[in-house]
Amino acid sequence: MSSRHANERPTRARAVVKPFQIRGRFLTALALRLEGGPPDVAFYEALDEQLQQTPQFFSAAPVVLDFARAPGIATPEKIRDLAHELRERNLLVFGVQNAGPIDQSALQSMGLIPLGPGRDEPGPDDAARRKRGVEKLLPPDNKIVTAPVRSGQIVVAERGDLTVVGSVASGAEVVASGNIHIYGTLRGRAVAGVHGNVNARIFCRKLDAELVAIAGLYKTSDTLDPAARDRCAQIFLEKEKLCMEAIA
Amino acid sequence: MTTQMKAEPPLGRVIVITSGKGGVGKTTSAAAISAGLAKLGHKTVVIDFDVGLRNLDMTMGCERRVVFDFINVIQGDARLKQALIRDKRLETLSILPTSQTRDKDALTKEGVEAVLDELKREFDYIICDSPAGIERGAHLAMYFADEAVVVTNPEVSSVRDSDRVLGLLSSQTQRAETEGAEPVKAQVLLTRHDRARVDRGEMMTVEDVLEILAVPLLGIIPESQAVLRASNVGTPVVLDEPSAASRAYEDAVARLTGQEVEMRVTGERRPGLFHRLFGRSA
Ligand SMILES: Nc1ncnc2c1ncn2[C@@H]1O[C@H](COP(=O)(O)OP(=O)(O)O)[C@@H](O)[C@H]1O
Ligand SMILES: [Mg+2]
Repeated sequence: MSSRHANERPTRARAVVKPFQIRGRFLTALALRLEGGPPDVAFYEALDEQLQQTPQFFSAAPVVLDFARAPGIATPEKIRDLAHELRERNLLVFGVQNAGPIDQSALQSMGLIPLGPGRDEPGPDDAARRKRGVEKLLPPDNKIVTAPVRSGQIVVAERGDLTVVGSVASGAEVVASGNIHIYGTLRGRAVAGVHGNVNARIFCRKLDAELVAIAGLYKTSDTLDPAARDRCAQIFLEKEKLCMEAIA
Repeated sequence: MTTQMKAEPPLGRVIVITSGKGGVGKTTSAAAISAGLAKLGHKTVVIDFDVGLRNLDMTMGCERRVVFDFINVIQGDARLKQALIRDKRLETLSILPTSQTRDKDALTKEGVEAVLDELKREFDYIICDSPAGIERGAHLAMYFADEAVVVTNPEVSSVRDSDRVLGLLSSQTQRAETEGAEPVKAQVLLTRHDRARVDRGEMMTVEDVLEILAVPLLGIIPESQAVLRASNVGTPVVLDEPSAASRAYEDAVARLTGQEVEMRVTGERRPGLFHRLFGRSA
């Protein structure tokens, strides 16, 4: 089992229809990626251990069930059991992905929504792929922020690198599809390679993060490498492992 | 008390006293800063945005003189002149109290703007005492501000809330939304600073706080019995007997008006052991 960041694309459109407004919202969720057979006692023990180690990471985080590596267990009954067990543990399960052709009304009755890209659904999948194709053709759109990123703020570079000239506060979040450069202290969350770029890196002048993630692999403040903590550091993936090292 | 009067047109500068967290000293600071400005001869009004709690008029000692309030004016039930209370100690100081019986929804953006515009024609400084939190009341208190005093205690949760508020000041204010406008000028006022507790490592140092917030420091107000005493008798601390806290607020006020004043970290002089044991009977 591994946890991944799943991301919904933000919608730029902002239609004003009184008496309410519709706004696109960028949502970062945790994806619980299931592997192998149906969840057993050992699975739940491992999960409970993980929850105990990093409780703050899971508290209030929306969770998606990802069946990409366990297609055999994506049946309504198994999903119902799993969702029930997770909700018992106060995880906010709201969606499934890569569940194959599954009965929509069954999902709906469990309060779950299917999230793209649903590989076996012809309609939405084509649209999603087309959209991705179009985005690949667009030039990169790097972003530079010249002010500190404050607690409660989220800055996203959808297609490219993000550079912050200043610090990223505790409770703030910076997200990029490419690299993230922080000329200041990283105290909040930094999520690089958000669309799966395993070559993305995070650089910061001082590492004191609540969370760092690259292409879905993450570490939290209590699992930061002591050798890099409070130092000028870079964070990168090597052989599917998140590494961090002091530089300069 | 003597005050010098000025002849120039009013400055009309709107300053919000805000923090995110409650109980950090916003109202105390709004009272002290407005009284300090008025003492220097600036025509000053202080507005209570904390609808429902209504602490400012007590801190200013005018709670028994409230007839109409800010909400009455916004809803058109009273004129501004009827709601403004002239301070008995300083003729340059006025208070616009709020209502204790209404809720936050009684404030509207248009109403607040109209009141501020009218006040700008008469006053040099318009001090807005914000409620805690980051919702409607706090949003409206900061929305029209030219400047912000972010009141912060030297502890982690207060610093984090202040950071959050600084983010809102740079994104959710009229200045932030107006193309080409100068951003809201924000400064930190560190209050309830207890040097002994900082030395013992129980509180954050000034440097730590500034490193995180990354905005200029307006002043350091020590934790002080003088503040409690003054607020209990309804006197802004700068109008009470001189104390470390009143001097620190006066320095902050001078900086707010653009003067350069050296930063000093003071603490209440603690009586020595001898005095603690024998002082009372001596
Ligand atoms: N420097 C200080 N020293 C001691 N007590 C203080 C100081 N500043 C504020 N207080 C006390 O803290 C309490 C909360 O202050 P207040 O100004 O009402 O905070 P806020 O408006 O931010 O909620 C009050 O009882 C006040 O007297
Ligand atoms: Mg208050």
